[in-house]
Amino acid sequence: MKKIISAIATVALVVGTAVAVAPAANAACSGKLKIAYQGPLTGPEAALGINELNGVKFALKKFLDANKGANVDPTVYEVDDQGDPAVAGPIAPKVAAEECVVALVGPAYSGASKVSLPVYLSAGLPIITPSATNPTLPSFGKSIFHRAVLTDDYQGPAAARLIVSKNKNAKVFLVNDASDYAVGLQKTVDITLAGRVVGKDVTPTGTTDFTATIAKIKKSKATAVFYSGYFSQAAVFVKQLRDSGSKIIFASGDGTLDDQFIKLARKAAEGALLTAPAVPFETASPKLAKEMVAAGWKPGVYTTESFDAANFFLDAIKAGNTDRASINKYVSTKSHKGLSKTLKFDADGEVSGADVNGFIVKNGKLVPVSNHRLRLL
Amino acid sequence: MDFALLHDAFWGLTFDGLALGAIYALISLGYTLVYGVLRLINFAHSEVFMIGTFSALVASGIMGVKVEDDPRTGWNMIFTLLICLVAAMLASGITAVLVEIVAYRRLRQRGATKLATLISAIGVSISLVELFRIITDSLPREFPRIMDKTFLFSYAGADIRNDKVIVIIAAGLMMFALERFISKSRYGKGIRAVSMDENTATLMGVNINKVITVTFLAGGLMAGAAAFFYILVYENTSFKVGFFLGISAFTAAVLGGIGNLKGALFGGFVLGILETYTSAVFGTAWKAVISFLILVLVLLIKPTGLFGESIQQARV
Repeated sequence: MKKIISAIATVALVVGTAVAVAPAANAACSGKLKIAYQGPLTGPEAALGINELNGVKFALKKFLDANKGANVDPTVYEVDDQGDPAVAGPIAPKVAAEECVVALVGPAYSGASKVSLPVYLSAGLPIITPSATNPTLPSFGKSIFHRAVLTDDYQGPAAARLIVSKNKNAKVFLVNDASDYAVGLQKTVDITLAGRVVGKDVTPTGTTDFTATIAKIKKSKATAVFYSGYFSQAAVFVKQLRDSGSKIIFASGDGTLDDQFIKLARKAAEGALLTAPAVPFETASPKLAKEMVAAGWKPGVYTTESFDAANFFLDAIKAGNTDRASINKYVSTKSHKGLSKTLKFDADGEVSGADVNGFIVKNGKLVPVSNHRLRLL
Repeated sequence: MDFALLHDAFWGLTFDGLALGAIYALISLGYTLVYGVLRLINFAHSEVFMIGTFSALVASGIMGVKVEDDPRTGWNMIFTLLICLVAAMLASGITAVLVEIVAYRRLRQRGATKLATLISAIGVSISLVELFRIITDSLPREFPRIMDKTFLFSYAGADIRNDKVIVIIAAGLMMFALERFISKSRYGKGIRAVSMDENTATLMGVNINKVITVTFLAGGLMAGAAAFFYILVYENTSFKVGFFLGISAFTAAVLGGIGNLKGALFGGFVLGILETYTSAVFGTAWKAVISFLILVLVLLIKPTGLFGESIQQARV
């Protein structure tokens, strides 16, 4: 027994010493530089994260093909936060402590961003999010925060205009899933629609039965419903709405803009109006899209934006920047001509010159609506 | 607060609440049966339900139903639906029995504490959820529409839809069959005997392991039926489908008096209707708050639930 105890004590001592002498966070990286990606890679929202990760992987592969011998790790450092703030919280410090991670594409979701950004700020780790659209995020990430898309301050009004463009006298019912993203987006839709909003309901993530919400929608005599939330629940909701006999317009934001939404809702998804500050990869560059598929990665929503974000970081590394601070300075001050737009960040890390696009589901496919540059309306 | 909606759409909400409640009631029977016999909360029961939904899905695939197909009609439809129902019930029943053999039997025979068994139950539940998360790539799955959804008739503004009518009637029949089984059959008597007094029952020659296996099987079959009805109405499932429904069904069992069959039935229907009403009046976000507040109030006044706590009282 004594032996066992002393063995345990020795092990504890060794581990303790190892931890004590381990290099402090932010120390210079001795190996290859790593580009990280953070977003949901497992969990019900994983489809979106995988779209984005594929964009980063493809950008990295193209960069290394063109710059053989660059001091960059060919594997993306994957951070799976499941899109969930509760999961992101404990992971962020580990990512920040990886000294070779010099740049991060993500986090994908606004809620997870809110808990991760302060950690990355104190570690000086620069980030470019391809899809977190909550307008308040700059205050969490400050100097290290950059966003490759327009915020919900733009998307909400664009979605509102899209609904009204389909029906001038639209009366709209608002439903959100109580997530940070959904509440923020709904607020901006609400403000733009003003007097047209005839009712609201909140259906927290995990709701499977929408009976009461649908009864409310019917009683409100709404001609359109705007669902603010993510695709897996949006599909369940729109299916029950159509099964109840309702034929009103269904509209939603970028959380729903995913092939999985159409796959899950099938016929009920027909005619759904969706907005996103994103440009489909196939539209941005059909040639690269083909090349990407050939390389084994499927592009989806936000692949273009992730691809651009990763390339901006790789530009910085190519220009001779090898640590977090100098890479952050590079992306904050220089610009990058990407596929979706030219990335040039203002003092808050927000991008200029971007658009919100509108889509409609037709015959099981996402089709851009004719006037789909909604910011220009 | 919107009491006007409850007033205007009362019958519609009640009908939808009944259909939801029927599913809760079928699941809660499994919790209540096991508790009645073993005095154990089978936390893996929600996963027994989850496996039922996936089995119905697999069965529909084997029957050649594709998601893009038009709904089937006539005998073809009835046959396909029955196969899916039987597949879900069998899979859930077998899972429940296996869970008992793997996770509980050894512990019980070695006289482990109730807490050890409880942790074992939670462990099984987490393993099964994670297993299905990995198998399904964390993505929800859709169930094809085998039966067209139509409105049978309208009563006082309530549109009565065929699938929900089937759920309410079929669930009622299943419960009746289970009740007959418990009160009349040889094994049913065994279950009641063990739930009254395990030692005396053993002395009287009741094979306790067999009785426990039958208990888990019966609970599993009911959960499988619930899984089929759920997927028929809501047409989707995911690895975490059991979590929310399991909590609701467990609540229903406690509300009615856990260990009591009639209580579980009543609790299920009451909770289904209550959730629908509170969603309508206070908003869907308040559903859980109000429902659980009512549960706490009921338990404050009657700690053993509405119908008291034991299976032997379930005799009609």
